Amino acid sequence: MSTTHAPVPGLPRERDVLPPVIGSAVQRIDAVEKVTGRASYAADTRIPRMLHAAVVRSPHAHARVLAVDTSRAARVPGVHAVITGADTAQVKWGAFRPDLYPLAVERVRYVGDEVAAVAAIDLETARYAAELIRVEYEVLPAVLDLDAALADGAPLVHDDAPGNLAHEFAFDRGGAREWLERSDVVVEGVWQSTRQWHGSIETIGCTAEWSQDRVTMWVNTQTPFLARQRYATALGLPLRAVRVVQTEIGGGFGGKSGDDNTSVICAILARKTGRPVQLVNTREEEFLASRPRIPMRYHVRLGFTSDGLVTAKEIDLVADNGAYTGKAQAVLGAATVRHDALFTYRAVKARSRLVYTNLVPTGAFRGFGNPSADWAVGQAWDLAATRLGIEVPDLFLLNAVESGSVSPHNHRISSCELKQCIRRAAAAIGWYDKRAAPTPHRGLAMGVSVHVSGRRSFGDYDGSSAIVRLTEDGRAAVIIGEGEIGTGARTTLAQIAAAELGLAVADISVSRPDTDLTTHALGALASRVTYVAGNAVKQAAERACEQLLAAAARQTGRPAAELWVEDGHVHAPAMPGEDTPLRQPVGTVVRAELYRPGGEPIVGLGSFDNPSEFPDQLRYGNESGAYNFVAEAAEVEVDPATGAVTVLELAAAVDCGTVLNPPLAEGQVEGAIAQGLGMALTERFDWDGGAPTRPNFVDYKMPTAGVMPKLHVEFADSYEPTGPFGAKGVGEIALDPVPSIVASAVADAVGVRVHELPITAEKIFWGIRTGSTTPPEQAGPGGLSESAEPAPPDRPAPPRDRAPGEER
Amino acid sequence: MAVPLRFRLNHEDVEVHVQDPASTLLDLLRNDLGLTGTKSGCAIGYCGACTVIVDGRAVPSCLQLVGLLEGREVRTIEDLSGPDGLDPVQTAFVTCAGMQCGFCTPGHVMALRALLDQEPEPDEERLRQTVDGNYCRCTGYVKILDSAREAVSLQKSLTGEAR
Repeated sequence: MSTTHAPVPGLPRERDVLPPVIGSAVQRIDAVEKVTGRASYAADTRIPRMLHAAVVRSPHAHARVLAVDTSRAARVPGVHAVITGADTAQVKWGAFRPDLYPLAVERVRYVGDEVAAVAAIDLETARYAAELIRVEYEVLPAVLDLDAALADGAPLVHDDAPGNLAHEFAFDRGGAREWLERSDVVVEGVWQSTRQWHGSIETIGCTAEWSQDRVTMWVNTQTPFLARQRYATALGLPLRAVRVVQTEIGGGFGGKSGDDNTSVICAILARKTGRPVQLVNTREEEFLASRPRIPMRYHVRLGFTSDGLVTAKEIDLVADNGAYTGKAQAVLGAATVRHDALFTYRAVKARSRLVYTNLVPTGAFRGFGNPSADWAVGQAWDLAATRLGIEVPDLFLLNAVESGSVSPHNHRISSCELKQCIRRAAAAIGWYDKRAAPTPHRGLAMGVSVHVSGRRSFGDYDGSSAIVRLTEDGRAAVIIGEGEIGTGARTTLAQIAAAELGLAVADISVSRPDTDLTTHALGALASRVTYVAGNAVKQAAERACEQLLAAAARQTGRPAAELWVEDGHVHAPAMPGEDTPLRQPVGTVVRAELYRPGGEPIVGLGSFDNPSEFPDQLRYGNESGAYNFVAEAAEVEVDPATGAVTVLELAAAVDCGTVLNPPLAEGQVEGAIAQGLGMALTERFDWDGGAPTRPNFVDYKMPTAGVMPKLHVEFADSYEPTGPFGAKGVGEIALDPVPSIVASAVADAVGVRVHELPITAEKIFWGIRTGSTTPPEQAGPGGLSESAEPAPPDRPAPPRDRAPGEER
Repeated sequence: MAVPLRFRLNHEDVEVHVQDPASTLLDLLRNDLGLTGTKSGCAIGYCGACTVIVDGRAVPSCLQLVGLLEGREVRTIEDLSGPDGLDPVQTAFVTCAGMQCGFCTPGHVMALRALLDQEPEPDEERLRQTVDGNYCRCTGYVKILDSAREAVSLQKSLTGEAR
């Protein structure tokens, strides 16, 4: 059953003989639980004697905590514990740069910073008591934006971070300045991305219970093992004292990857009360104190030869870390280098700085820096196409990477169908036809992006392991710690196991992570589960199958090489002199292997480590073993009277290798596009004093069904040699180009280029009238408003006789 | 002082004693009656995750005060499936991959159930309007709308068989 990926002459390649369950629309293994409301999410955990908790948060962006009076709260009937920083281990924690206390010690650094917490008999009592806690603050000067934080003599968010720099690095690979000087065309601009909240409909939550010296935490975390490590640090406990169990997760997108204090506070309250405690964020808390996308400001310079070959790129990037770092440091790395794996740059130069502010801490969000990079660099490419007089898809095709390309940072591209994606997205949107017959106030744009399939980030390991246990009733249990955040990962892992084992998907179960019971796993991040965990499950299933066949061979006296598994049975041809072929149920073979003197179970262990390199301090290194690609094209219409944008159509062509389950893969793309449209157009708050004025869904508008454009989703014919059955990751990629292509399409439609997200009607309205996207009364120095671009007619129409998408 | 309250819940008469008539049906269902299939997403009636059916209409249970429930008829997601299987709306979501994380799914299912009870053959515009009332952060709504269309045709074929 072992599978070789090397093509054998004369035999069909594996990609030509994929098992039928691979690539079929298998029903999700958790579908019925979810449609019936039986799936148990974080807030659905019920334990006898369970208490409920509420948190007291800072109303100030920066203040010294002079005193906390909990006496009135503690006297409220039904209150079991009130805690402050003094009740914690007072240890700073964080994924890369430990800078966060579980509850404030001496200072608060953003509006929402946790100061105290209450556990009580019910939620109403806990919230009432929390309101009775009196905190005396000495308000300190705060830095509320990037420029204020970087100014000379700015107040420090953390005393040990001079200049408010949480992290910085710089490199020049190939002499970018020299290449830019020698370039025929150089485009340049400054682009600012935005804080975007994950907006999972389920908020972050935890239920914790102590038994002797150990705490069990039922958490809706995407990364139970990584979260456990951090929680142990935050609680001042040895790793063995913490057990994390994943509940059902109502949306992740990076926001539930264990960088916030909610679970830690819950565990401290549970220890103090000696009872189970549940703490679930309100929607307001989710907006105030989760870890939204990092706003990034890019200064981009891009050089080209006159015939459209890219020469070099230089970026200067400042990113708003907020008050605590979490995973922002790693996001900064991806935001700086990842997009250089798209085009054949001769040289790239970058300076990247992560800057502390007294604002909500930022962190991981689907795309992991890529949407901000694409927002800036993607628009620079669009500007370049206009300057060069080359259609965007053609400019991309001239410069796109291919299989075998190596980026300046040593990203080694194995499978790559980027050019196919560009052609297919152009064809799907009708690019050349629409260019030939432009409609007033409508605009077209295209963008491309690249993403990883797992990223070596948390130490020199990006692997996964899995156990496949064949059961005595003829099924298979896949035991793995990766988990499920809604993407359908457990279903695709079941398909992979089913394909290897010759069992039906209905006969495969896939565990949920439990740090006591399952294999170690990094979890659902970096688009890694299908590729990394899929390979581990595939090997575990192969090995279990080998054991099954060996057992059946011993039991039946036939050579193992003659046996195979199909439809839940072990098969063999009829022996010489016998009429009937062998057909033995898998369960019978497993039972017979157990129920004998010295009997043994049939258990396969599989392991896979991403064939990648741990990047160095300057982000040099092949961060993933496989890269996925997308090309997206959008057509928008702008109402010139109001500036309102309607996205009419959006086409996405994705290279994620073999598509294991088409509806699930489509769902990843469709959902990512929706999230990208929200980031592009509507997701914002009004701010005052360092916090959103109304942190709720009424102000923060996410896309609804009514505003979705017509979507065309296609998958490239592609096969990744190192992937399970040729598959790569698909979870994040389709979000990345969306904001940039909406902006470029608006520029194409009405000649107004928006440089700061989101792309609001107001900015376009002023852009059309005044040439500046800033309202006249707010215009001032240092803004990002840009003069209007040359009107669209300057863009040459392609010759009509050219076939759509034809490469030149 | 607890106030007695009688209403119909999932076709059964229930009597509960509520401390606060201004508390919500959502909290009553989840905390006092153990019906956790109804989800809380925003607590301000905006996201639709907590949608239940009251007297035949889809309402956000986070805004439905318990004091106004006396004598009324409430249906929750727990009522839609049973030993006989799934409601056609639920079946449609299963077959069309209409959910990812699934947290908003009970709300979407209840909103569409209420629509189909009132209008067995809604047109595309009505389906879109109904789905538009509930947030989903995972799917981009494409497969939820597929599920909605499938639910209409499934219900139609089942009704046809019943005749």
